Amino acid sequence: MASVTGKRKADLKVVILGAANVGKTTYIHRYIEGKFQQKISTIGASFSLKQWGPYNIALWDTAGEERFTGLSSFYCRSAGAAILAYDLIDEDSFHSLRARFLPLLQAAEPNCLVVVIGMKQDLLTVDNRAVEQKEALMLAKEVNKRTLDKIPYYEASSVSGHNVENVFEYIFQTCLPQEAKNLDGLHVSDLTLEEKAQTGKSCSC
Amino acid sequence: MSVRAFDLVPAIERAQLISDKAKTEITCIECCGKNLYIGTGDCLIIHYIIEEKIGSNGKIHLVSEKQGYRHLALKKPVSQLKAASALNRILVLCDNMLVLLNMFDLEPILSGTRIKNVVSFCLNENPIKSNPFSIEICVSLKKKCLQIYKVTEDKMTLIRDVSTTDIPITMCIDGTFICTALPTQYYIINYVTGGVQDLFPYDSNHVRPIITRITREEFLLSAPGALGMFASASGTSQRPPLQWSENLVSVIYSHPYCLALNDEFITVHSILDQQQKQSIPFQGGQHLGEFDGKIFVASAQDIYALIPIPVEKQIQALLVDKRVKEALDLAQVATKTGIDKEKFLKMYQRIQLQAGFIEFSEMNFDEAQKLFRSGRLDVREMIAIYPHLLATSSRFVKCLPPLHDIADIVQLCRGEEDRIIEYKRFLISYLEEIHGTRHTLGAHMEIDTALVKLYAELKPDELPILVASDCACDVGDCIPYLEKHNRHHMLALLHSSHGDHDRALGIWTKLIKTEMEDESFPGVAFMVEYLTHINNSEMVWKYADFLLEKDQLLGVKIFIDRSSSPAQSEDELPSDQVVDYLSRYPVAVVKYLEHLVFECKSEVEKYHTHLSVLYLDSVIRLMKDTNTQKEELDKARSELCRMLQTSSHYRIQLILGKVTELELYPECAILYGKLEEHDKALGILVHKLRDFDAAENYCIVNAKDRDLNFRKRLFQVLLSIYLDPNNERRDSFVAPAVALLNNNKADFDMIKVLQVIPDHWSIGLLSRFLTSSVRKATNRYRMTHIQRMLARGENLQLKSEHIELLRDGLKMTDDKLCAVCGERFSEVTFVRYPNGIMTHTSCAPNKYICPVTGKLFSATQGTALPSVDHNHDAR
Ligand SMILES: Nc1nc2c(ncn2[C@@H]2O[C@H](COP(=O)(O)OP(=O)(O)OP(=O)(O)O)[C@@H](O)[C@H]2O)c(=O)[nH]1
Ligand SMILES: [Mg+2]
Repeated sequence: MASVTGKRKADLKVVILGAANVGKTTYIHRYIEGKFQQKISTIGASFSLKQWGPYNIALWDTAGEERFTGLSSFYCRSAGAAILAYDLIDEDSFHSLRARFLPLLQAAEPNCLVVVIGMKQDLLTVDNRAVEQKEALMLAKEVNKRTLDKIPYYEASSVSGHNVENVFEYIFQTCLPQEAKNLDGLHVSDLTLEEKAQTGKSCSC
Repeated sequence: MSVRAFDLVPAIERAQLISDKAKTEITCIECCGKNLYIGTGDCLIIHYIIEEKIGSNGKIHLVSEKQGYRHLALKKPVSQLKAASALNRILVLCDNMLVLLNMFDLEPILSGTRIKNVVSFCLNENPIKSNPFSIEICVSLKKKCLQIYKVTEDKMTLIRDVSTTDIPITMCIDGTFICTALPTQYYIINYVTGGVQDLFPYDSNHVRPIITRITREEFLLSAPGALGMFASASGTSQRPPLQWSENLVSVIYSHPYCLALNDEFITVHSILDQQQKQSIPFQGGQHLGEFDGKIFVASAQDIYALIPIPVEKQIQALLVDKRVKEALDLAQVATKTGIDKEKFLKMYQRIQLQAGFIEFSEMNFDEAQKLFRSGRLDVREMIAIYPHLLATSSRFVKCLPPLHDIADIVQLCRGEEDRIIEYKRFLISYLEEIHGTRHTLGAHMEIDTALVKLYAELKPDELPILVASDCACDVGDCIPYLEKHNRHHMLALLHSSHGDHDRALGIWTKLIKTEMEDESFPGVAFMVEYLTHINNSEMVWKYADFLLEKDQLLGVKIFIDRSSSPAQSEDELPSDQVVDYLSRYPVAVVKYLEHLVFECKSEVEKYHTHLSVLYLDSVIRLMKDTNTQKEELDKARSELCRMLQTSSHYRIQLILGKVTELELYPECAILYGKLEEHDKALGILVHKLRDFDAAENYCIVNAKDRDLNFRKRLFQVLLSIYLDPNNERRDSFVAPAVALLNNNKADFDMIKVLQVIPDHWSIGLLSRFLTSSVRKATNRYRMTHIQRMLARGENLQLKSEHIELLRDGLKMTDDKLCAVCGERFSEVTFVRYPNGIMTHTSCAPNKYICPVTGKLFSATQGTALPSVDHNHDAR
């Protein structure tokens, strides 16, 4: 799949960030392949392409290990949406979001949609939740500059598939122009085309 | 997972170098065409000519010859060399000084400016303004800046100057984008706009910065964690990183592979899937260079070449390892490596097919199907893997070299029945999909044969449709298959669709006789239907007997329905012949005759008589049989009566004789009626049967559509019978006689009635008859009167019109011409049509049609008659 990526520019870039071992790769795999599978720790980054309606979406999975943090910022560049992932039963993984990963989003698009996801929801018991839901919601609210209908926070499980498909659906619907908006988009591009044609003329004179 | 993409071949070995100077150490290499340059640690530049030779064993080896050398008086190692063949120059970096030498004699170009304090330099292989007499280079300087120079034969001209925050260690340039590594961070700088894009940080203490150009505006950078990061000019990445080993010293790109060199290995990654493909042990490697397709690798003392293995060989190797996806990806990039399009397409299709068979052998049917389709599989290749499925008459020969190493399906599945069936189902669905499309590529016969066989075994429901459409299968080859799976009926249909009716009918005969079994066979009715529509009377005669013996009622349908089916010409099975033929089958022959008489309305006396006799026979038989039910007999007689009554083509006398003999009075009555012997008929009805209603009815039926006089006579006959004075029981006929007189439908001549009415009848008995008779008479009188008056009126009208027409005269003069021939009128007579057209009498062939306008003058319209004048000058 990666071989096709070289040429075509994706319509939306989605990047997933978070500490090592929180389950980022497994989550992406669950979405793309529809099943849970053990994954080895990611090295550098990996990449998947997803077709959503007429759109090509590039999903970048980054490595959580500290030594790759510098590179992850590079992979965030021009991302239209980002997923900040932490492990629901690992407090450190939540704190590292603010400390280590939030700054990386500087490189992303200015009004990048940021979705916070608490991972491994299936492992939650009555007493092992490491982070108050309130706090996670607060983070999710705080990191989004754009106005949204709801706070983009989810608790997901790659084992059960809970909040996998619908989270991506939510991201795409929020970030990509829909049918109605689509028309507007067309108009705009028509205009720019015409403009280009005109300037082209004046240049060749 | 590995593939051999390159072979390591010695180029210039230590022995050759040492001969020059004992401690010579290679510090850089450069190649341009056949020229190979070596820079050494002791400030030497050595020039070789090097050529590839193919040895007798087919292997490539390199032959080199030293051309000369130059010692630069700088006492420092030569750190970089770059040849510019268009300029006949070679750029040399030594002791931070960039100078130009002549490419062949290695003489310094004295006029050429030299650039000082150079850290490194690189050539722009993709400059925005290309000029054959100059090249563009990028130079990094100790004074923390990058400079772009235009280099010509004898000059290096500064074009741009971009200052940086630190000393650029290395860089690579493409178009206007310089990708560079400062000590802690990689950047991309657009030297025209001055735009700077930071990429990612690294630590030059741990990672040696390496930048390699991949394609337009895309670079490959060494990154922390032994990663190779792809970065485009926009500052993003379009491919996941490569995972390298530590301590790399050099990286090059040779589509589609990235080669990385460290102290021990040359590793080869594909940029298609970012995976490592090959690892070549190479001790002490220091320099790796790609020079227009030629790759050289050097340690301090030895130089080797990396010879690319032809793509096709690599692909075949991948296919042997069943690495389908990699093989296909590699094949796809082969287009970009310069094979001509047609050749590539052929190669690519073949690879797709090979790949398809690999997927096939692993039961990845979806993938296999896609590959087979896009590779335009000759489907016979697949059919041939299935034992016995390929038609024996097929002239197909397997592709050479073979596309796969599958012996057959049974072996592939190790005889596991479930898997074999799955394979068969796949073939079915594949064949169904291409069936009737252009993908059949002249394999129509083989496809249909295979489908018939497969359906026979697994999908019998599909057989009828396949067999009914023009199935091109090899019938002979299919027979054993169909028989084995008891698809006898289908086999028969197949024979039939191939025009072999006799065999088809033979099979059905056996099925009906239950000598064979096939529940899909619908039974006798089917065969009857088949024979009905068959265009071959021979078959009908051959098989009809069998069917008639089985079931006369069904069997006779062959002949009955046949005549109504449009395809059959009547004379093919002449009715006479059929009747003769059917005479052995009493039920059938009656049906057939009924068909001829009642449905076809045949008027042939023979058939009518024959049918009547048969009806009569059946009545006689029933009457003789003491066990006969009354209903049965009644039915038979009413059938006979209906026949006798409705038909008027049988031989009455013949029937009458028999009927009289048997005292079948109603039938007698009908027959006498037919002979117009109404008194006899009515006599039987009244005296023998005493059925007055029937008698009255007889009169009504026979009087129908006859003229009034006849009707009167007929009713009078019946009345006379009732009132016959010689009849001693005549009193009992009073009531029917009165009923008859009162019947509205009856007609009488009143005078005659009154003459026969006995005198003793009361007027009350006759009052109804009398009143109605008087009324009728009055009515008739009035009607006649009106008619007469109307006729008179019409007559007057016509008279008046006639006078009108004759009133106007007509003048015939010499200058009038005939409207038809244009000649003058010379005779006394001429013709004039009501529309004024005048012609010679000889020119008017039809007096009702105007010869000029074609207008039709109806003969019934008195006014339209043409008038013929006898006077040349009327009035
Ligand atoms: N129970 C449970 N385990 C999970 C879930 N998601 C991931 N895991 C497990 O967590 C471990 C880490 O998963 P990865 O997907 O490799 O984690 P990662 O975030 O990609 O880690 P890095 O690549 O090192 O950054 C694996 O053992 C997974 O099986 C989940 O939803 N539920
Ligand atoms: Mg991972």
